[in-house]
Amino acid sequence: MTAMTYGAWLCLLAPLGGTILITLCGTRIPRVAAAWIATTSVFVAFAGAIWAFLGVHATHQAQCLGTLPCNLPRGEYTTAWTWLAAGHFSVPLQLLVDPLSTMMMLIVSGVGGLIVLYSIGYMDGDDEERRYFAYIAFFVFSMLLLVEGGNLLMLLIGWGLVGLSSYLLIGFWHDRPSAVQAAKKAFVMNAFGDATMALAFFIIIAHTNSLSFSTLSFNFSSTQANLISLGLLGGAVAKSAQIPLQTWLPDAMEGPTPVSALIHAATMVTAGVYLIARTHPVFEQARTIELIAAGTGALTLLVAGLIALVQTDIKRVIAYSTMSQIGYMFVGVGVGGYANGMFHLMTHAFFKALLFMTAGLAIHALANEQDIRKMRGLGRVMPFTKWCFLAGALALVGIPPFSGWFSKDPIIASTLNIGWYGYVFYACGIVGAFLTGLYTFRLWFLVFPGEPSPFVREHYHDHHGREGAWTMLLPVGILAVLATIGGWIQFPPHWDPITKWLAPVAPSLPDAVASTTQETVTSIVSPLVGLAGIAIAWAVYSERKIAIPAAPSVRRVLENKFYFDWLYDRIFYEPAVWLATFLRREFEEPVVLQTGTDLGDATIETGGLVRRIQTGLLRTYVLFLAAGAAGVVLAFLIAK
Amino acid sequence: MLGPNVAWYVVIAAFLFGIGALGVLIRRNMLVVLLSLELMLNGGNLALIALSRHWHNGAGQIFALTVMAIAASEVCVGLGLVVALNRRNLSLDVDTLSELRG
Repeated sequence: MTAMTYGAWLCLLAPLGGTILITLCGTRIPRVAAAWIATTSVFVAFAGAIWAFLGVHATHQAQCLGTLPCNLPRGEYTTAWTWLAAGHFSVPLQLLVDPLSTMMMLIVSGVGGLIVLYSIGYMDGDDEERRYFAYIAFFVFSMLLLVEGGNLLMLLIGWGLVGLSSYLLIGFWHDRPSAVQAAKKAFVMNAFGDATMALAFFIIIAHTNSLSFSTLSFNFSSTQANLISLGLLGGAVAKSAQIPLQTWLPDAMEGPTPVSALIHAATMVTAGVYLIARTHPVFEQARTIELIAAGTGALTLLVAGLIALVQTDIKRVIAYSTMSQIGYMFVGVGVGGYANGMFHLMTHAFFKALLFMTAGLAIHALANEQDIRKMRGLGRVMPFTKWCFLAGALALVGIPPFSGWFSKDPIIASTLNIGWYGYVFYACGIVGAFLTGLYTFRLWFLVFPGEPSPFVREHYHDHHGREGAWTMLLPVGILAVLATIGGWIQFPPHWDPITKWLAPVAPSLPDAVASTTQETVTSIVSPLVGLAGIAIAWAVYSERKIAIPAAPSVRRVLENKFYFDWLYDRIFYEPAVWLATFLRREFEEPVVLQTGTDLGDATIETGGLVRRIQTGLLRTYVLFLAAGAAGVVLAFLIAK
Repeated sequence: MLGPNVAWYVVIAAFLFGIGALGVLIRRNMLVVLLSLELMLNGGNLALIALSRHWHNGAGQIFALTVMAIAASEVCVGLGLVVALNRRNLSLDVDTLSELRG
């Protein structure tokens, strides 16, 4: 055990400790105490993550940035004990501390800590604050288990637990039927992904008899590699809300806003990207499937961007934008540029959490109103929120020097060298950038500039003269800074610490490295296209309003979210309900229930026949006893 | 060996048992029924002791002691029931106590 593994264990166990403490204390501690326990535990986890990071950095420095070629070790495993052993197959309770996992640990616990701090203000006064904070600390623990897990089974456990905590937090307001429905939907769709992942793991066990990460480099046959990758991709697509399993994410906005920021923007939904980066050896053996992942991302980023254009709920617009940005990350890791995908994951965590939290400030100040059509002119009363939102929005669109520009454009550029489909992905990425500018600034122009609308004037209430409690404003401010400067850490091809950092674990494929010209052109074209989107949004949605071209059929398709929900209802939900009703009518009622009744009736009838023997007269019983005894004696005598 | 032949003891034991059994079967007063039960038990005891002496085997005597202990407990319960019934002014006639009729 070295220092960095201590850091990793501290990072993992602190939030779990927080959850247990809050749960055990129950109502004996005040609500604020529960909130601070959760916040402290997540910040302790962040300290542990920094500790682990510094440890990895030191070894990394010695091995990879020196003159020596960096082959081994790629990280350090730390094993608590052998957890599951059956014959030659054994799975230890194990963590892996390497560049990829420390990067995720820093993002999860850092952004997570800020969001939990933000929830102190946001959830203030809610009836069940303690339950909320226990859940959210538990989520951070699960997410850290997912990213730190040292073998595939640990990863799957974390994967399942984040699904569970996501379910619990989406359905946190359990007295709202829509929240309960949304929670169930998210759980069921994620369970599908969990199942395909488990199937992939079974194939791996069958051929290599192990679930350690190193077996992923095993020389699988092409069918096996395809099946395994397909199973893993199923899990990634479900968790990251990509087509065709994307419909749960917008509904998940029923949860409290900090939950949307933490789980459905910054961390959990990006787990699919992490999964592909982590299991890249097997994806590289199944290049077709990896490109399908990229294609899925490209399709999702367009579809989600289009749907976001017509949404009227502020959180849903941002949710669709999250789907779209994760689409970019899928394109990035799908073409083999793992560092690009992970870098965008990081900047996205900053600016998307920021957008959700500024939206949360607005929602909180407007008595839980989420409809953007009522919000015009909010910037006049909430200037801080307005400027922070603007920073997030510019980062999202990818306008230099905000962080999105640094991370999104390398992804788009990296598609150019992989073949003809690369050009399709490139086109999708550029069109996506345009859509991003359009929908983001539609939101901006509808909500912030101009004179406050009557609704805003009537419902706006501040918090002791400020726009929110300090616990809400401080994290928003920090994230606004990060969303602005967070991208400066990498500027390919001139300056690429993140690519170098991840190179020992997930080296990018040569195909996915764009030339300097490609990078430069993309870095100029993409923000210009984004600016075009912003300009159109300004022309259409700001005060001067050009009439929106009327295309009712297109609008209807978009408002119905391309009929995915309708289709799934027809294909899965309604047949299932029909089958259940049919079986109830034809099988349960006549067979199952009737059998029970018949058995009861028969018993009563038989009982009626023999009940006459029970006369209640003591002497009769004695007579029977005596006769029986005499009979036995006689039988013995005769037998003798 | 002193005393009469073991057969006499067994015959008397059988008589005691028979009288007791007859009493349980035909008497309706609960006190008498309990008394008759004691007779049956003591008939059994007598047979056990006699045969124990006949075969020079102590096990029978031990059995007899056990039976006495059981008889004492049984009488406790039985008389307790009689007292409880009497307190509620219920009849002690076993034929009228037939609520468990099926």
